[in-house]
Parts: sequence; structure tokens; C-alpha cells
Amino acid sequence: MSDELDEIQGIFFEECTEGLAVAEAGLSAMAEGDASSETIAGVFRAVHSIKGGSGAFGHAALLAFSHRFENVLDEVRGGRIPASAEVTKTLLGAFDILSDHVAAAQGGTEPPADAAMLAQLDAVLESKGAVAAAPAPAPEPVAEADEFGFTPVAAVVEDFDPFGFEPVAVALEDFAPVEPAEPAGWTVRFGPSRGALGNGGEPMLVIRELEDMGAVVTSVDIDSLPGLRDLDPEDSYFVWTLRVPGTVGEQDIRDCFDFVAPDSLIEIDREEVLVAIVPEVPVTPAAPVAEDDDGFGVFEPLPVPEELLTLVPLEPAPVVAAPAAVPAAAAEKPKAEARPASVEVAQTIRVDLSKLDQLLNLVGELVIRGSILSDRLSPADQERVELPELSRLTRQIQDNVMSLRAQPIKQAFSRVPRMLRDLSAETGKKVILETIGEMTEVDKGVIEKIGDPLTHMIRNAVDHGIESAEERLAAGKPAEGTIHLSAEQKGARIIVRVRDDGRGINRERVRAKAIERGIISADAAISDEEIDGLICAPGFSTAETISNISGRGVGMDVVRSNVEALGGRLEINSIPGEGTTFTMALPLTLAILDGMIVRLGDQRFVLPLANVIETVQPEPGQVKETSPTSEVIELRGQYLSVRRVGELFGMRSQRAPEDSLVIIVESETAGHVGLMVDTIDNRREVVIKSLEDNLHPIRGLGGATILGDGSIALILDIDALVATGGSSKYALKGMAA
Amino acid sequence: MSTEDTELDERKIVTFTLGSRLFGIDMRSLIEIREWEEPTPLPSVPPYVKGVTNLRGSVVPVVGLSERLGWAPSELHSRSCILVVTINGRHAGFLVDEVQDIVVIQAGEIQPAPDVEINEQGAIAGLVKIERRTHDAANAEAMCLLLDLDALSLTRQVPDFA
Repeated sequence: MSDELDEIQGIFFEECTEGLAVAEAGLSAMAEGDASSETIAGVFRAVHSIKGGSGAFGHAALLAFSHRFENVLDEVRGGRIPASAEVTKTLLGAFDILSDHVAAAQGGTEPPADAAMLAQLDAVLESKGAVAAAPAPAPEPVAEADEFGFTPVAAVVEDFDPFGFEPVAVALEDFAPVEPAEPAGWTVRFGPSRGALGNGGEPMLVIRELEDMGAVVTSVDIDSLPGLRDLDPEDSYFVWTLRVPGTVGEQDIRDCFDFVAPDSLIEIDREEVLVAIVPEVPVTPAAPVAEDDDGFGVFEPLPVPEELLTLVPLEPAPVVAAPAAVPAAAAEKPKAEARPASVEVAQTIRVDLSKLDQLLNLVGELVIRGSILSDRLSPADQERVELPELSRLTRQIQDNVMSLRAQPIKQAFSRVPRMLRDLSAETGKKVILETIGEMTEVDKGVIEKIGDPLTHMIRNAVDHGIESAEERLAAGKPAEGTIHLSAEQKGARIIVRVRDDGRGINRERVRAKAIERGIISADAAISDEEIDGLICAPGFSTAETISNISGRGVGMDVVRSNVEALGGRLEINSIPGEGTTFTMALPLTLAILDGMIVRLGDQRFVLPLANVIETVQPEPGQVKETSPTSEVIELRGQYLSVRRVGELFGMRSQRAPEDSLVIIVESETAGHVGLMVDTIDNRREVVIKSLEDNLHPIRGLGGATILGDGSIALILDIDALVATGGSSKYALKGMAA
Repeated sequence: MSTEDTELDERKIVTFTLGSRLFGIDMRSLIEIREWEEPTPLPSVPPYVKGVTNLRGSVVPVVGLSERLGWAPSELHSRSCILVVTINGRHAGFLVDEVQDIVVIQAGEIQPAPDVEINEQGAIAGLVKIERRTHDAANAEAMCLLLDLDALSLTRQVPDFA
């Protein structure tokens, strides 16, 4: 019992979380000047439902606070208190306390100190709307009750009544007109005698004859059918029940049985006495049985469920009357709103995320088993239709499971506006947020994990990037800074950008700091991009004073490792005086990749197919050395740089370019680049197994996968690979001792 | 409660050799023992990480324990094997020379480790005397170095957002 309660509590807290998100979005919109009644009502409803649930679960402190909060919201909703900036600010403050209350209730900890906030709320109530203090909202929400998950139990039950009966009504209506239109039908039971088959008395002929008169086989009684061991194929075990239209005369029916052995079972009755319950008028199910009856029918799985075989006295009145009455009653009641509400209930279900994860893992295993199977089959068998069909189905299951986990990235973006407001308040910098592509769908796992990096990038942009208003005006920029937050899908990646129009990275200072911290040597010759990358080095912080927003020097390092742990990449682009762009390129899914399997020596690697443009078999002389360590390939008059993948992995290969293949790939960082490999094995979907589960992320690798033969192939991260050029500058960083 | 006492005091360890030394790890950390099989090498990892291998569908790093401790690499031979263990929920395989036995020791018998010259401070949790399964009476007892696997964790510690 208490388990059940815990479970329901769990749902309550999930709903609280959702409610808080709704309230936050609404309040944020209000802070931006959207004081429409829907927005305010949305916030009110969210808080109200938290209040309702907290009362039910005995979270007194949460109940008390949400009640007071709701009172103010109700006044605002009713227009008695204007949704001014001041009021909205107080509401936002109250929202924070409410979040703390929810967290405290959930964690079973001490509720937060809310006295000051309550005083503020009371002040708003008193100053703006004199009459507001009474707990007015109670009657109103009842009208809206169907929008709240947990309040209106009674309403839900009512809603279901008509739906429970409706299908029955429809089903019977189909029959209803038939019954009174003709005289009551006949029910005929026919069981050929033992030995009838042996005498050549084919029961099928009789049944056909009856069917010609409009009879329908409604059931077959197989009760006397013995076990297989005792079965005599020439014996007869079946008893058919047929329904013959009432228009057929009794004598006509009897005539059909003229040639049937007299010891057969023949019963002919008017339906007033007995009627078969025929839910589906199943002509078809019964027919094959009859046809097969010459000895083989017994092996046929009988499609007619046993329950239907019994004859039941008909009680037509209540059944027929009820459906007619209920929809009518339902229609009379003002239930127009209830219908869509309950339809909505039926359309979504809550699923524990771990169950989806498990499903995804299983599908992953299925894909692997599929490839193992395919590897073991002969080429001729691989071509057969079953295998491609199986792969296609597996692929569809995979896609479906993935789509179950896809969520709009909005969930991660939604907390940004509020954060920016806090940051503005703390730093005194005015910042405008522009968001693009927040409906882009991403795997739920990705959304959960980009929250922290995103937070930090935004903080970083406000704290370090955007200048003070005076500085901006002096530089000829608008006093308000702008942060662009965008998400877009590009191939198999999701690109999330945080762009500010601030001062850009001060490379001189970054460099000086890096030397001071011993991250680079004083005479290191590094490019601007590499300097920008240094802000992600562990233990790096340039903030002159340590602010409480950023500047602890853990931030960007963690941002990068989080992004890389997701199999993504972090890029930094900075133009002095114009701003900085942080770009996170994240995999669309964390689980499956369309890959090209290439071979180098005796090792196999996977190239993400999304990066591959073309494959070239170089002619002698087509690959030229530009320096002892670098090569280019001439392709249709263009020179593209070529990297030997083996060398990037420290495997020295003496293979001549002519004996190798060059795969032209597209990279975010270095444009088109050729990668030299020995051969290409095939193209295959692979399940990404993360290296960091048991080790740690390795730069240049997007993970590993298990091939059909059980061996492991490493998945190359093209962008990181060509960007680092194989140097292991950062590769060893942070390796635990 | 006597059962509780035994649980507290008695520990099962798996013993194995690295060169001439005898080591032991807590039985509870052991997932499986598998034959040596060349793992898939990884780029940019320390030399003691020999690569990764497929453990029932998950990718598990294989570490040369001898090198990990800062000694000369183990030579591969027919009895070389991989001890697959779990360290804080993550899996790792350690290449060892030969698995010996499973023995029960009393927690009280563990003596603090003197300075052992190895790479990893704290990797030796203690010393314990065990009885060997042998008919050679002179060699019936042996000293076993107990490894503290936590000190050999491979994953990098990512600091939390504070």
C-alpha cells in the first residue's frame, strides 16, 4: 500500500516538475511583457495544481506557500492586480521559493525560509487589490478541473461512462434492425452419427445445402473431440450449430437431413427459446473447419473461442435498451468538453525513462545480432528477401524507439531566459536573448546532458563576453548586449550555438595566463584558434576577480568534457570586438550510427557515413608530398589535404597511396579532407558503445562498436581527428593517475 | 550474531601472480576470468592501457597490471589471463600472469603494507599470509599483496559544476 502511495507521490513530483516548468515559462513571458490572460492563467493553473497535490500528500509547508502564491496569482489573473514589472518580479521570486519548497518536499528536507517572500506577496495583495485575501480560487478551478491531473476523480469516472458503453451500442445497433424485420430464426444443431463418415455421409453437403438457404454456421461444438491418440479419423466428433433465417420453413430444413443417418443429432428450434450469441457473425472462421472435416479438420486450430460455443438464453431487452439510453443521456449532459479531455488522456502515457533506455539497449543488441547473423550466412542467403526484410523491420523498430526518446530542445533552452535575468541583475549588464530552432528534436539523453554546459556557456558569455553598457556605447554598439541561442539539425548532428556580440576573447591575456599557469610554454607558437581553445584547458581562468558567476576556472573545461562525453565537439570562434560563438556539435542520437567500416592493417574502424563524401582510388602520383609529414591529393584540379589514418593512430604504414583508398570526408573544422585507409569493408549501422562507460572519452574517437564477429571497431570522430591532426596535445589531459 | 561476525571478518580473495609476486583482490570485485585475447588498441592512451575488449556487449579496457604498477610488462604465455573486475561500477580487465586460487582470509590478519616500490600510492592495501595449495611443505605459506582496486581506477575524474 505504501509502495503505491510512493508511486503516486512520484507522479505528483513529476507533475510538480512539469508544473514548475510551465510556471517558469509563463512568468518569463510575463517578464518580457506578455501579460495575456492565457499566460497568466497558465501560471495560475500550474501553481494551483501543485497546491492541490501538496495538500493531498500532506506537504503542509508547500501547501501553505503555494496557497498564498496562488492567491496573488488569482488576483492578477482576475485583473485586480496589474501584471506590472514589479509584480512580475515578486512572482518570479515567489516562484523560486516554490521550487525550493517542492525540492524540500521531495527530498524530505526542511522547507525553505519563506517568511520574507510571503510578506512580499501579502504586500502585493494589500497594496494593489484590497479585497483579495480570501481563498477565492477554490470554486473557479473546479470548472477547469479536467485540466488538472489529480483533482477531479469524480469527473473522470463520469467521462468514462459513455465511452465504456458506446462500442457496445454500436455493435448491437448493427444487429438490432435485423431482428424485428423477419420472423425469429431457427437454430439447428447437427451432429453426424458415429460412422456417418465411414458410410460416405459427407456432413459438408448438408451444411452447404443449409447455407444455400441462408444458414450460417455459428459455432462448432468440439467437446467430444478426443485426444490425438484416441482419435479415429473415420469417426465424427463435431456438432455444428447453424442459424437459419426464420423465413425458411421447418420442413425445408428437415429435408436437408433426408439422407443423413437416422442416429445423427438433429435439433431444430425456433430462436425464441435459444439463440446463439453471435458477436461477429463469423461465417469465415467456421467454414474452413467444415471443409477440412474429412479427417484433417481436427488439426486445424479452431478459431472460434470456446466461450462462444455455448448457447445462452437471449435477454434482449436490457442490452439493447441500455446503449440507446446512455449515449442519449450523455449527449444531454454538457459533455462536449469532457470528450476531448478524455481522448487526450488516452493519447499519452507516462513511461519511466529507464524502460525506454532498456528498450533502446535491447534494440541495439538486436541490431548487432542481426549483423552477426548476416555475417554468418552465405552471400547467396544474404541476398534473400528475408534478411533485408528483417533488417528493414529492425531499422523501423530502432527509428521508433529513437523517436520515443526525442524531445524538443526547448526543454534545455527554457531555463535560459530566467538565468539571463538573474545574470543581468547581478552584473548590471542588459542582455537580450534571441532563440532560434528551439523545436529541434533531440534525444532525451542529450537534452539532459547539455543543460549544464549550456548554463555555463551563457554565464561565460554574460560575464566575460558582453561588456558593460558604457563600454559598449563607447565601442559604437547598442547598450544592450545580445545572445543568440540556436539549434539546428545538420546531418546526423545537432548544432547548438551560443553567440554573443561582446568583446571577443582577449587572446593576449589568454596566452599570458596560459603561460603563467604552465599550460603552454612561453615560446609556444600557437594559432589564434588554439589560443581560443585554451580557455577550455583544465584549471584555466582569466577573470581578474573571481565573480560568483563564473571564473572559478572549472567551467569551460567541464563544458568541453561534457560535450565530448556525449560524443560531441565544442568549437570556439571569436572575433575581437565582435563577439564569441560557442558551437556544440552533438550527435542526434547516442545510440546508433550509420557507418562505413574501413580496414587499416588488421584493425577495423568505423567512419560516420554522414561525413563521407566520396571514395577515391588514387592513381600513381595523384597523392603528393608537400612536406615529409603532410600530403595532398589532387582531385579534379583541387588539392585536398590527406591524412593517413594509421599515422593518426600511431600505426606506421608503408603502403603506397596507389594501394590504398582515400576517403574524402567533410569536417566542420577543416572542410574537405582525405583520409587514407587500406580498404573499405562495408557499410553498416553500428551501435555506439561509449568508451567513457568504462574508461574515459578519447579525442578523435566517437566511441567503439562491436562488429558481427564480436570484435571491437573504434568509431572515428572525423572533426576531432582532422582538427587535432593526430597530435595528442590534449589527449592525455586529465587521465586519472 | 555469529554470521555477521564472519561476514565482517572473513574475506574471500582471488590470488594471482605477476612475475614472482603473489597478489590478491577481493572476490566481490571479480566479474570473470578470461583467457588472454589481443584487445583492440586505442590511440592516445598510456602504454599500460592495452586496448579494449568486448565483454558481453560492453566495451571494457584491458590494462597491463604489471605496467600499471610501474614494473616491466608481463610476458604473454599460455596461462596469461584477464581478470575482469568492477571498480566503482565501471569494468576493467587486468592482464595477470596466472590465476592461483580463491582463499578465505580474516580481516584481522591483514597487515599494513610497508613501502612497496610501485607507481601507484595506495594500490597495495595490505599484506596477508595465505596457505598455498601445494604438497611442498616448505612452500605451504606465502605472502600475498592485497590490491586496492579503487586506486587503479581508469576513469578521469570530471569535476562537478560547483
